[in-house]
Amino acid sequence: MLLPELFSLLSSDLFLMLSLLTCLLEDRFPKSVPYVYQIAAVMGFGHLAVSRMFLSVFSEYMRFWYNIFYLATALANIVAVNLYLALSKNRWMLAKIWTSAVTFPTVFISIVFVYNYTYIQGAAFPMLMLNLIIVLIVIMLGITASLLLSPKLLGKEQRR
Amino acid sequence: MKIGNIRLTKSTKFLTLLLSSTLVAVANAAIFYSLTMQPQVTVSTPVLKFSSAPDEPSGSTVYDAWCRLTAKSYPNATLTYEQAVYINNTDGSNAHSFRLRHASITPANGSSSVGNWTSIKFIVYNSSGYVFSLNYTVSAPNWILQPISGETSYYSIPQSTGWWVRVETLSPAAATAGNVCEIQIEVDVQE
Repeated sequence: MLLPELFSLLSSDLFLMLSLLTCLLEDRFPKSVPYVYQIAAVMGFGHLAVSRMFLSVFSEYMRFWYNIFYLATALANIVAVNLYLALSKNRWMLAKIWTSAVTFPTVFISIVFVYNYTYIQGAAFPMLMLNLIIVLIVIMLGITASLLLSPKLLGKEQRR
Repeated sequence: MKIGNIRLTKSTKFLTLLLSSTLVAVANAAIFYSLTMQPQVTVSTPVLKFSSAPDEPSGSTVYDAWCRLTAKSYPNATLTYEQAVYINNTDGSNAHSFRLRHASITPANGSSSVGNWTSIKFIVYNSSGYVFSLNYTVSAPNWILQPISGETSYYSIPQSTGWWVRVETLSPAAATAGNVCEIQIEVDVQE
């Protein structure tokens, strides 16, 4: 059986990965960014600790939502870094690499986990709403990827 | 010198972050593992509940998880409690299967008192009609169960649905008033 805390574990690891990657690319990001992501990862530890302490008090429904919110935050940060590289820094090649090596795999893996979890739990959670959110994320990811892969198109849009 | 210093600073930073990341990742993994290994037994109300029905025998006691029906039996006349007790599936999203299983009966087989009854039937109905039954008939001085195994098959009760138990009793013309038969039936529910 999957626990909803799996999302917190995954998110925390995503923040750690972001921290290390932004440290490696430190000349492209503000200096404090890697440390901010480290703190965000430690917050994941806090999430897990709270879940463990209040396991009998919190319902699974509640645990699911606060863990999925944390996962959504981590994924939003990954996409934000991707957009930051593409739009603010105009590093198209780096943005493309980031999309294919970081953004797409992490979003895809997260979707698989969320889908698998909701499938196992049956109708206990609002499946329709989750499906809509996931479809929305995939569409947004697709649009972002297509914009990043064809910067000329973006340039045209900006000139309008 | 400057380039060397920058490289050293960057590598030191990275190494520090790497060590910190390893620490956080290991701590997270450990706490998650302890969560998965933590057994959780939560006290909660049953999803399948008994509830009072219109034809409940007087003097009966009905609680969520168990009920005691004090039915009567008349000589040479079948007495029917059309809706003796409800069995409700209170789960709003899932169907649950349940069965009736014989646990005990007094007077026991071999007792001459067994001859004071002809049959005692517990028949489960839903809004469409008959579903299944657990019947006790007498071939003095023994009780004969139907199904013979003493347990019915499992039947799935849909979400947020109420079924009911019909109780039919019959005694022979020569039955002696005041004899009491106690039957204990278990309701097995698959969660």
